[in-house]
Amino acid sequence: MGTEALKKDFPIFKVKINNHPLIYLDNAATTQKPKKVLQAISNFYSYSNANVHRGVHTLSEEASEMYDEARRKIARFINASHESEVIFTSGATDSLNFVASTWARNNLKPGDVILVTDAEHHSNLVPWQIVAQQTGAELDFVEVGETQEITLNNFKNKISEKVKLAAFFHCSNVLGAMLPVREISKLVKNNGGIVVVDGAQAVPHVPVNVQNLDCDFYAFSGHKMLGPMGTGVLWMKRDLLDKVEPYRYGGGMIDLVEMKHSTWADPPEKFEAGTPNVAGIFGLGAAVDYLTEIGMENIMKHEREVINYAASELSKFERVKILGPKDVNERYGMITFYTEGAHAHDVATVLNSYGVAVRSGHHCTMPLHKKYDIPASLRASFYIYNNKDDVDVLTGALKKAFEILG
Amino acid sequence: MDNEIYKEELMDVYRNPLNKGKLDNPSVSILERNPMCGDEINLQLSIKDGVVSDVKFDGSACAISIISSSLVTEDILGKKVNEIRDYDRQKLLDLVGLNLSTSRVKCATLVLTALQKAIKQYDSGKK
Ligand SMILES: Cc1ncc(COP(=O)(O)O)c(C=O)c1O
Repeated sequence: MGTEALKKDFPIFKVKINNHPLIYLDNAATTQKPKKVLQAISNFYSYSNANVHRGVHTLSEEASEMYDEARRKIARFINASHESEVIFTSGATDSLNFVASTWARNNLKPGDVILVTDAEHHSNLVPWQIVAQQTGAELDFVEVGETQEITLNNFKNKISEKVKLAAFFHCSNVLGAMLPVREISKLVKNNGGIVVVDGAQAVPHVPVNVQNLDCDFYAFSGHKMLGPMGTGVLWMKRDLLDKVEPYRYGGGMIDLVEMKHSTWADPPEKFEAGTPNVAGIFGLGAAVDYLTEIGMENIMKHEREVINYAASELSKFERVKILGPKDVNERYGMITFYTEGAHAHDVATVLNSYGVAVRSGHHCTMPLHKKYDIPASLRASFYIYNNKDDVDVLTGALKKAFEILG
Repeated sequence: MDNEIYKEELMDVYRNPLNKGKLDNPSVSILERNPMCGDEINLQLSIKDGVVSDVKFDGSACAISIISSSLVTEDILGKKVNEIRDYDRQKLLDLVGLNLSTSRVKCATLVLTALQKAIKQYDSGKK
């Protein structure tokens, strides 16, 4: 993949950071946006702006058609069995809260167990804490091991008929590890539970086939896959569409409204009250086109090369301790590490002075950092436009950081 | 450039901070956390006859936080509580003398928040 040519598609790479070219390695937080996505948003507002599903005038019909077309694209991208399974939200956080406020709150009761892992993003932990408080269900944790095999066994030990809902990441936003979603889903479902997958870090990096994963809900964010902020998806398995109650109430989601009673539109409209982020979704559709054109298999192959190189270069530093799977081939999208004797924020500040953007902190996983007993870590996360040269700049700047910080 | 933050004089303070450690019998002890990064500082003061007779800080924190803790504790040691009551953000930033980016100001003010809480605790204990 010609990453230098790719970088030209992204206006942000013209920006200089402290007089250095931008080396953007914070893609797990959000990715940069290619011109095609920016143009899609701007074109919508410039030439097609109107509300959707509300009017018979030309622009409204056009906007509605663009919105529906984006839904079809995204449905194809994740291999949904039908486009109505794709529900637009404001992001993965919103999607996970959706399931917590609807299915979970309406179906769980005292004695039930909600199972999550000890490495979830706060967005896939805090909503379940609240559901547990509201319903009297118990929150239980699977420890995430270093390999898929260990993890699957750890799940096996925790699964019983009491587990009515299991929520876990597809790819961890700290460890970069993938969970064997299909195998875990089977275990949970054989015991009568519902499976919610946080796919925020997986959809941008690997081909995702929701039918094959065989879960019930799958959540992800648009802005981590070249799309605009404020866009996200909740994929909901078709047989649940009629069983799950609406998340929010108001315009756009109704069938018939009387003074004291209303009925709902068919899914997916039933789940999308209010004016949606049409321009954003249109932009997300353009992002999906861009990714599809390159091909998710190619993206995966390219990232594998860059990550393996980064892992081998970073492990040359004695003071760098890498978190996550020992086998680098089981690591996706990112390398998280801490630096002995130098605080993550100090290192990140020095890296920034050389134009290198990495994340420092706990990356919304405080319990996991507590488990490893480190206050904060650094995360270099990669995407389609990153290359080995970027890794060299990172390690060069890291060397400088160690000189300065001692 | 950003690296100005890591000026040599200040890095000396970082490597050999003053007043690092724990007190045996502090009058007040405050554990302050920065939830954004997980840093924490434990600030302890011994106060005799209204004067800060001893002060120590401890914890896991970044260079900015350690440097400002060292400078602040050095500054308040031996002063009357009444003299340090008005310690605020500006005074702290002047003392540290750094042009910090917004995200790093919080690192510097961790010890300030701890100090303000410590004074409050001391005041309420007196009543
Ligand atoms: C694994 C994971 N889940 C959920 C989220 C939340 O995504 P968003 O902030 O886009 O809602 C993130 C992003 O930070 C993430 O990495």
